[in-house]
Amino acid sequence: MKKPVDHMRWLWHGVYALVILALGASLYFASKRIDYSWRWERLPEYVISTEGEEIRAPFDGFVELSADGKTLTMTEMKGAGRESYSGFSKVLVGQGDLVFQNDVLARKPGMRPGPLLVGLWLTLKISAISLVFALALGLIAGLGRVASNPAARNLATTYVEIIRGTPLLVQIFIFYFFIGTVLQLSAFAAGVAALSVFTGAYVAEIVRAGIEGVARGQMEAARSLGMNYPQAMRYVIMPQALRRILPPLTGQFINLIKDSSLVSVMALTDLTKAGREVVSSTFSPFEVWFAVAAMYLLLTGSLSLLVRRLEKRLAHD
Amino acid sequence: MTDRKPQILIEARAVSKQFANGTQALKQVSLTVERGEVLCIIGPSGSGKSTLLRTLNALEEISEGDIQVNGHSVHSSGADLNRLRTQVGMVFQQFNLFPHMTALENVMLAPLKVLKQPEAEVRARAEQLLAKVGLAEKAHSHPAQLSGGQQQRVAIARALAMQPSIMLFDEPTSALDPEMVGEVLEVMRALAQEGMTMCIVTHEMGFARAVAHRVLFMDHGEMVYQDAPAAFFDAPRNERLRTFLGQVLKN
Repeated sequence: MKKPVDHMRWLWHGVYALVILALGASLYFASKRIDYSWRWERLPEYVISTEGEEIRAPFDGFVELSADGKTLTMTEMKGAGRESYSGFSKVLVGQGDLVFQNDVLARKPGMRPGPLLVGLWLTLKISAISLVFALALGLIAGLGRVASNPAARNLATTYVEIIRGTPLLVQIFIFYFFIGTVLQLSAFAAGVAALSVFTGAYVAEIVRAGIEGVARGQMEAARSLGMNYPQAMRYVIMPQALRRILPPLTGQFINLIKDSSLVSVMALTDLTKAGREVVSSTFSPFEVWFAVAAMYLLLTGSLSLLVRRLEKRLAHD
Repeated sequence: MTDRKPQILIEARAVSKQFANGTQALKQVSLTVERGEVLCIIGPSGSGKSTLLRTLNALEEISEGDIQVNGHSVHSSGADLNRLRTQVGMVFQQFNLFPHMTALENVMLAPLKVLKQPEAEVRARAEQLLAKVGLAEKAHSHPAQLSGGQQQRVAIARALAMQPSIMLFDEPTSALDPEMVGEVLEVMRALAQEGMTMCIVTHEMGFARAVAHRVLFMDHGEMVYQDAPAAFFDAPRNERLRTFLGQVLKN
């Protein structure tokens, strides 16, 4: 009885591999038909740059190079400032050149993260911080949704309905141009605020569903033992709701990582913005966007892996 | 708020309850329960007996009337319900054990968090109570690993851990497989013999007859008849009760 089932399973795994291969092949031949030269070899440089750290001019002034070329001295044009540099591997200016503040003078040797990696880091940072705020906001709003107090319930409902009823991109513009201006927020803070408030509304609905999924009798049993509402929530309802909440919450946080690509419309160089910049300097849009997609997949994939482990641990408890 | 020790622990006066959909669940029900008394409430389903029980610890609100428990008004606006409920233990038809905790943790939770008693004392009492309901060896099992009868016995221990002066039982054996009914009734019988004040909504006529001091019959939200068990079952002086008992005994 076991053998034929086993055979069938391998057959279907084979079908899967075949379909994936066919899709890959058609993609490859399709790209052959258009006039596009793939230059994958240029990509790594934008992930990890071997060009090293840049030395920039601290003020407007003139360049002096020592005879052996190992020391570079800047003299300020209007003033007495002097600054010397050494330990660089490549000089980008010449003896006596007039340079302006922030011009690149030389490069130090060594590797540094390229624009794509820097963008990935910003995406990770903005997503992680937003996740924490969204969780707090969603928990409060979710508890508000199931509260018997009309003020708390209506406030939470209004929040959820407004946020879920408007596009994230529009919210980001409002946070950046209006709220950011009124409250003097940096672009990063405005981005975190927009993503947290947006994701918080969805988390609130997940929390509400999780709480409502716990049997009614649980709250009655807790209250009949003399627990007040917060105690019943904390010790009885929420621990049970958490297990139901975790899978949809993971999905929402994966959405958060992906939605964070929209902050690239603000002056924030996240992974998507970095991708756009790299495209404009390499003219290799196909490779760059494939790479950017792979990097997003890396973030979301690690998150789901992490949560799956957490779920297993919770299930064992 | 000091707790007097009146002879009458529960006094309900002309209690009525109307559900939001207009159904009249309770009609002018009056009831007294004395300290140490075991009262069984019987009646057809939908007669309002569970509703009546649940109004006694304010799990249900009432539309009219007044209920005094332990000398405190339950449904007045200033009532300290959490404090009241620590004195009124409740056992549910569906057990309602907390599934994420072991049996012992279930029993210990409320004394620890509500009464803020020291853990060592609470643990000792919880173990003692689990032994009393015959489940000392199941202390570290989760509810899902216990049979229905065992779960209900843990639920009784959980309610007793608060050292209540009254225990309410809402059809405690109705959700059990027949072979498990006995073990739960046995625990309740022992509790009654210790002098616990108990209000029991039940369909177990044999138990009511053997253990109750007084049996009360409800029908259509009305308290129809009450009497000592012998007179209640053997010579009911009420037509509706006779009909009900006839139907029950036929099955």
